[in-house]
Amino acid sequence: MSSRSDVTTGPLPIGQFVQLVRRTIVQDSLFRNQALKGEVTQWKKYASGHTYFSLRDNDGQMSAVIWKGKCAVDPSIKEGSEVVVLASLDLYAKRGNIQLVVDKIEPISILGELEKKKRQLIEQLKREGEIDRTRHPIPLVPKHIALVTGAGSAALSDMQRLIENRWPGLRRTVIGVLVQGPKAAEEIVRGLAITRILSDPIRAKKRGEPPVDLVILGRGGGSPEDLWAFNLEPVARAILASPVPLVSAVGHESDLLVSDLIADLRASTPSDAVERVVPSRNEMEFFLDEMSERLSIASRRQLADCQNRLSMLQSRLVVAPLMGLNRAKGDLMGFSSRMNMAAHHSFARQSTRLAQLGASLTSIHPQRVLERGYSMTQTVDGTVLSSIAGLESGQEVVLNFADGTAGAEIKKIKMRDENE
Amino acid sequence: MSDEIPTYSDAVQRLETIVSTLERGGMGLDETLKLYEEGAELLKLCKKELAAAEGKLNEMQLDELESELGSETNDSNA
Repeated sequence: MSSRSDVTTGPLPIGQFVQLVRRTIVQDSLFRNQALKGEVTQWKKYASGHTYFSLRDNDGQMSAVIWKGKCAVDPSIKEGSEVVVLASLDLYAKRGNIQLVVDKIEPISILGELEKKKRQLIEQLKREGEIDRTRHPIPLVPKHIALVTGAGSAALSDMQRLIENRWPGLRRTVIGVLVQGPKAAEEIVRGLAITRILSDPIRAKKRGEPPVDLVILGRGGGSPEDLWAFNLEPVARAILASPVPLVSAVGHESDLLVSDLIADLRASTPSDAVERVVPSRNEMEFFLDEMSERLSIASRRQLADCQNRLSMLQSRLVVAPLMGLNRAKGDLMGFSSRMNMAAHHSFARQSTRLAQLGASLTSIHPQRVLERGYSMTQTVDGTVLSSIAGLESGQEVVLNFADGTAGAEIKKIKMRDENE
Repeated sequence: MSDEIPTYSDAVQRLETIVSTLERGGMGLDETLKLYEEGAELLKLCKKELAAAEGKLNEMQLDELESELGSETNDSNA
């Protein structure tokens, strides 16, 4: 930084310096359109129509001016009133005084009254079930949007620009209404009445355009009083009467407005509303292209599967008769060999049995007994004697041996003793 | 599907179901062809819907609109 002695132009005239300070103050956005609250002192209305006063609280104060006709001044404002002002800082060069230039002034008691009415309205809508009502679903692709907002407003041009970015040429009808001041509520209600007409399918058909299927009601941010129309009952009722989804798009960050509470969708700003309800056409088209491709691929694969199944059935059909015949032949051969084997087994079993029977028969023949040294006694008339019963001494008997017979006579008969 | 023209979201939802059914596979020829035809119809409809969103841009003041719509406004306010 250069020292003062470097300044060759000499000391700066105070007027220039004051203008320099003024420019700095006026250009700083922090000092523009500030909402301030405080107590009114030195309230004085001059014949010129300008009103001068000071706004103060316990920590500081500043002079303020309301230029003639700049804004409506509530007649109840007087010395000591608590007020909210919307003001910008300026420097009055003639006196070097910094002062507030007031754009709007409201007694706080009025705001308090409005707040009370707002709360009552919300309570009433709650009781009627309107706050918790089922919302209209937002269409995926709106075919005709109605924008109800300030004509020529920054909010409108923001929305228009954003819509064109997302969906060039999207059909829309702008209904320009006042969005602040005493006539705002009435104009918004009339604007919404028009959206109801535009959303009627039969009337839309007569006009040869799709009916309005989405309404964005909005404006940019402002002081609570600027936005107050959106807290009034007629506007709330008109929102509730909308047969199509309605987005409340009022720029503000603090308290929710009644319109936010009852609309089908709440957006924080008009631009936010567009972002949320207008899809990107490019993305939509990309999605449909992708679906189209998936549909073709999946269908082709299904058809190929059907074709494969058919080919397999066809080849099985060709060989099926031969396979059947072979199987039958095999079965037959199986039966035949099983039959042979069964017969064979049966014969073998019978032969063995016969041989066994033969052997038994041979072993029990009387001749075989006689061959082993036994003899058989018969009466002369051929009766085989197996007991002494009936025998008499001197009786003639015949003895049979293996190789012949011999006559004999019974000499002595003795009963066998059981104890022997 | 009913005879009524489905909304874009309904159409897209049905289309997604059809595509994933076909992708899962396992259906017969008749069903495949039927689903494909339905899917293709839905795609056509969706594309038509996208095109339908394009249109005139009206920008009017309240009074102009009211006088243009004429008696309709009165009907609606009644």
